[in-house]
Amino acid sequence: MKTKTIKKKDIASFLDTLLTRYEVFAPVERDERVVFEAIGAGSEATLDYQNTTMPPKGILFPQTEQLFSYRSTKDTADIAVPSFKEKPQLIFGIRPCDARSFLLFDHAFDGDPYYINRRGNTLLVSIGCTHPQAPCFCTSVGGGPFSEEGSDLLLIETGDQYLIQIVTDRGAQLLEESGFKDAGKDALTLAQKMIKTAEASMGAGIEIDGLKEKLDSSFENPIWQELTEKCLGCGVCTYLCPTCHCFDMVDEAEGSTGERIRIWDSCQFPLFTLQASGVNPRPTVKERFRQRIMHKFSYMIESYNQIGCVGCGRCITECPVNLDIRQVVHTISKLEALS
Amino acid sequence: MPEVTKKIREIARSLLQEKKVDLVIGFEQGTLPLRATPCFVRGEKEVDRLVWDSFCENNLATYLIKRAERVAIIAKGCDVRTIVELIKENQISRDQVVIIGIPCQGMFDRRQVEAVLQGKEIQEVTEKDGQLILRGGSFKETLKRDTFLYPSCITCTHRNPVIYDLLVGDPVPELSTDPYQDVEEFEARSAEERWEYLIKEFTRCIRCYACRNACPLCYCQECFVDSSSPPWIGKTTDESDTAIFHLMRAFHVAGRCTECGACERACPVGVDIRKLNRKLARDVKERFGYESGVSLEQVTPLATFKPDDPEEFMVNP
Amino acid sequence: MKNPYIPFPMRIDNVVIETDDRDIKTFSLSFIHKEDEASFAYIPGQFAELSDFNKGEAPFGMASSPTQKGSLEFTIAKAGVVTTALHNREVGEIVGVRGPLGNGFPVDTLRGKNIVMIGGGFGFSTLRALTTFVLDEANRPTFGDITVIYGARNPGQLLYKDDLEQWGKRHDLNLYLTVDSRDDEWSGRVGLIPQITKEIAPSAENAYILVCGPPVMIKFTLPVTREIGFLPERTLLSLEMRMKCGVGMCGRCNIGSKYVCTDGPVFSCAQLSGLLFDES
Repeated sequence: MKTKTIKKKDIASFLDTLLTRYEVFAPVERDERVVFEAIGAGSEATLDYQNTTMPPKGILFPQTEQLFSYRSTKDTADIAVPSFKEKPQLIFGIRPCDARSFLLFDHAFDGDPYYINRRGNTLLVSIGCTHPQAPCFCTSVGGGPFSEEGSDLLLIETGDQYLIQIVTDRGAQLLEESGFKDAGKDALTLAQKMIKTAEASMGAGIEIDGLKEKLDSSFENPIWQELTEKCLGCGVCTYLCPTCHCFDMVDEAEGSTGERIRIWDSCQFPLFTLQASGVNPRPTVKERFRQRIMHKFSYMIESYNQIGCVGCGRCITECPVNLDIRQVVHTISKLEALS
Repeated sequence: MPEVTKKIREIARSLLQEKKVDLVIGFEQGTLPLRATPCFVRGEKEVDRLVWDSFCENNLATYLIKRAERVAIIAKGCDVRTIVELIKENQISRDQVVIIGIPCQGMFDRRQVEAVLQGKEIQEVTEKDGQLILRGGSFKETLKRDTFLYPSCITCTHRNPVIYDLLVGDPVPELSTDPYQDVEEFEARSAEERWEYLIKEFTRCIRCYACRNACPLCYCQECFVDSSSPPWIGKTTDESDTAIFHLMRAFHVAGRCTECGACERACPVGVDIRKLNRKLARDVKERFGYESGVSLEQVTPLATFKPDDPEEFMVNP
Repeated sequence: MKNPYIPFPMRIDNVVIETDDRDIKTFSLSFIHKEDEASFAYIPGQFAELSDFNKGEAPFGMASSPTQKGSLEFTIAKAGVVTTALHNREVGEIVGVRGPLGNGFPVDTLRGKNIVMIGGGFGFSTLRALTTFVLDEANRPTFGDITVIYGARNPGQLLYKDDLEQWGKRHDLNLYLTVDSRDDEWSGRVGLIPQITKEIAPSAENAYILVCGPPVMIKFTLPVTREIGFLPERTLLSLEMRMKCGVGMCGRCNIGSKYVCTDGPVFSCAQLSGLLFDES
């Protein structure tokens, strides 16, 4: 595999070059928080961050998005579909877990032109995690702090420079004419050391082997009641989750014109499955929380042969009541079979 | 083991043993450093899960609503005020609840503490003499309690429970600072500046409803944001929709909000939710002499009418 | 790539008020653009999303048969925001249609077989589509015996009264109507679907049985279908869940790993027995 190096101080000017061809999204500091935003200059980006509270999923799957606009009277209905943005875009400094999450989106949005167009138009330059955090568990769900899956380029911090791992041809093209040096033996050795140290610092995480079978056979287990008793039923875990992709569709109208938009929705909300008849197959947090776990660790494996979780830990960090997905999964995996 | 934790376990054990309650709601050790988590104890065997530290930030009163069991609840000063309001609003009955009140010195703001550490991994957390001592592989940080409290704890007016069945720990001195200084500063700004500030805050909102769901006083059967006929409010994150959500919610809890700060602590994106709540709380206090959740007898001003109610707002908006 | 979210316009040609309480209406819609009709190739049991612009979309099974050219029929019960708006629509007005969606009844598997259809209330609409389809002149010889058992709360709630009258006169269709409670004019059967099904006990020999109706009816009818000899593989249901996108993306209508909108809405009992239902 080809590797290059870039000095940390050259990152801003590299981004400036990329900005001539791409719309670039990068982590920036806003009100003491780091968020992904479209940048105007390379100097706005910061790579000195743990992870953003909000995943960058909104760049490819916006929280609010127009599907089409319409003009409708009693006897006419004209529909206009928004044109797709032509300019290619790039997400710079995305964490490997978040880069992997788009591989799941690729399955979930198979056949969705809005996502597919953006996705085809987007490159991912990820930055490996030298300091995995306490809630991180990417290694137990098939990823890793330096996983290159889903990325076009992967940056590995090595002292005052980054090693650039070239993952795809599209990634390689980004570096053409950059003049970056091939990585030397020392840089490669140092990178290996950084990777080893980071991986060794990861917590125990979750046990995936046999989990799906356990979940499937424990669907009716009363333990779900106990596990979810403290759940507030809010949407933090789903909205902050890089793999959650459920949405609602609504009309926003003004007189005879309007637009049909789609908006993130959450399986944790009672309205999500409430039928017009008043019947709700998931009436309490127990069914709704179970759905979230089942979807990620059973249904997605059945449908896409992939675990529906990348182990970013956001739902753990930000859950207002510290309902920890790792603990839930652990409890289920340790259950004795119901007789 | 801290004295308060020990005492809480003793009380919980005896309440369950004597079958005075079916359930004790308290806190247990969280899964992350700087976190405690709500804990539901129904059997004596589980009593030793209960803990008390400076990370017991949740307002557990939210778990009392629509519960048939007899419950003992661990409650800080602000939580007790919420319980008082819930009793007055007939959401819970006084006889059903055993209040284990705890005088509170304020809870540590975990996000502020984490910001100091800049990603360094905490291995050990100890509390001593109002200080938080954090140890990791290569560091030791000592943080003073007063500088790292939640904003709601800094403006707290009732650290000591106003009612309780059992009190654990010695009463603490109430704060002597003006609790509404920030509101006064906010009011001193021009209307444009105030609006600009609020809109900037609301724009961050992602409509996850953690604030609403964490709030024990947000117990409506159907929240106005969920109504589909009529749809009172759009579901987007446009500034108009998010502003309406927060403005309406502030009005819904006006004169009831006990300023516990659960909304703000639950918010993952740091919206200054309490600004409006506290402005309204102060208005209610000034105009009607009412402070929510401090007395079981006093009538909630916005749930009653008096011919001599001040009504300048009707002519002077 | 086809954009699955874009509806095409259809004109309301006719509205039939089906029930005495006027809460259920059948809308007959005609295609405005020829190409929309060409792309809307469907089979009975499939559904479409109907748009009342400004109010949103809701899913409805086609109550018409693909053998009826030029139009689609939808039977709509007034329940929520969209259905109420649709009920206020008049002949000549435009609504949006997106589909066909879902798998539909396995028409090709059913050919050469005897078919027993059991419908309750509003759930009968897609069975009406299938009955019309099967009774089509060209189709009829390709199916075996056809039995239709259809029940409603009272005679005023029976849908498709003209069809029922026509079907009643035919010799190539066994039609059994029943109501939960009769009125003065009703001289037919009175009784709940499970009980009537048990009495009639249609033969399971070379047959499939299709059950559509409210959950409680399905719950009590399934043991009866089993008792009279229908295997789970040959007992088909059409399920209802809240749907939005209709194309398996919005994430709300799943039962276990299956989406009702794309894997269903028609499932055999054998398929369902392996799924994880939130409500049993």
